[in-house]
Amino acid sequence: MLDLALFLILLTIGYFAGRATEHRHYKSILLREKASLHLPTVTSKMLPEVDQIAKSFLVTGSCVISIDYFKRILAVLRNIIGGRMTAYETLIDRARREAILRMKYEALGSHIIVNTRVETASIFSSASQNGIGSVEVFAYGTAIKLKKKL
Amino acid sequence: MKYTPKLLTKNVNTSTTHPLKEFAILTGGILGALILVYVLLGFVLEWVVVPHIPQSVERSLGELFLGNYAVEDSPERQYLQGILDRLVEHEPSQTLDYQLHVEESPMVNAMALPGGHIVLYRGLLDRVESENELAMILGHELGHFAERHHLIGLGRGLVLLVLSATLLGDQSGITQFLQDSLATVESRFSQRQEQQVDEFGLHLLQKTYQHVAGATDFFERIQKEDPEGPLAYFFASHPSPANRVDFLNELISSAHYPMGEKTSLDLPE
Repeated sequence: MLDLALFLILLTIGYFAGRATEHRHYKSILLREKASLHLPTVTSKMLPEVDQIAKSFLVTGSCVISIDYFKRILAVLRNIIGGRMTAYETLIDRARREAILRMKYEALGSHIIVNTRVETASIFSSASQNGIGSVEVFAYGTAIKLKKKL
Repeated sequence: MKYTPKLLTKNVNTSTTHPLKEFAILTGGILGALILVYVLLGFVLEWVVVPHIPQSVERSLGELFLGNYAVEDSPERQYLQGILDRLVEHEPSQTLDYQLHVEESPMVNAMALPGGHIVLYRGLLDRVESENELAMILGHELGHFAERHHLIGLGRGLVLLVLSATLLGDQSGITQFLQDSLATVESRFSQRQEQQVDEFGLHLLQKTYQHVAGATDFFERIQKEDPEGPLAYFFASHPSPANRVDFLNELISSAHYPMGEKTSLDLPE
């Protein structure tokens, strides 16, 4: 009975804490995306003419986000019958956008980020035994500072 | 190529389904399916598998359990075994070799283990006042053997373990949640069984002593000591003592069983 009580408490904490964190994070993501809109971030490999480039350097941004207890349980249940893992969608979405934002922050002062790539890895140590269940998203690209603005 | 800055206004990458709604659908569906499987498997065990388990298998199962309950052949145990043997004589359908064990534990309980072993806890012995009362309890346990409840219980436990372990792995929280939910289903079965064997015990008491005095004494005493409402017993494996007393009294009056003189219990030191 104690186990069950603990489970329900964790579930409730997980749900409310997870919701609050997610809400706050999305608010901040939207704000920062708006603020960094002026910096073009493209996946194209096309570079400006070499003689126009003043400086080019690697920029990276990485973000690790963990699931909460509620999402974990939801995923366990979803695992049984299959279907869209909606509980994890926001997680990945947040991690991806946050990583790109961090990468853009590192590129402050440059004019464009080209060849942007996004990669992901799960940081996972047997989540089934109440271990860690997190996702890392890593974004990287080439920031370019031009001699003269385009 | 012209670069057009674009701010995300609608997010296509995340679902709009409310997580609580999804949780409700998933738990409801899976729990419902599991309860169905559990109940069905329970019936299969009760009607198909358990009646075909030979007594030799039951005996070897019993030996597995008995490791925990050492047999110490004291005069007290022999005295109690005598009461049990007298009851067994009046139950000719039984072919198991019944053995009684006393467990030194303050718990007020008795158990039927596979292979014909009945375990009486010290706490229960301390509370029993007459031989008739004790015979009623032993008759109740003999009833469990006659109906093979101990095997059904074992089988159900196994089903539960296999179901939750294969589906959910060792997820302590959620497995516990499922087990507790299924235990509630189990308690409904179990209360029905307990009532069945109370009836069995009563008839055996009448056959052995030619009267049924003392049949309800024990439950009445327990009820006085522990006056919990009937609601507390909804999830319990046994019906509430008050219900058991009422049920037995109804049976006694409908079968016109006589009340005789109670035999006092003198346990040898």
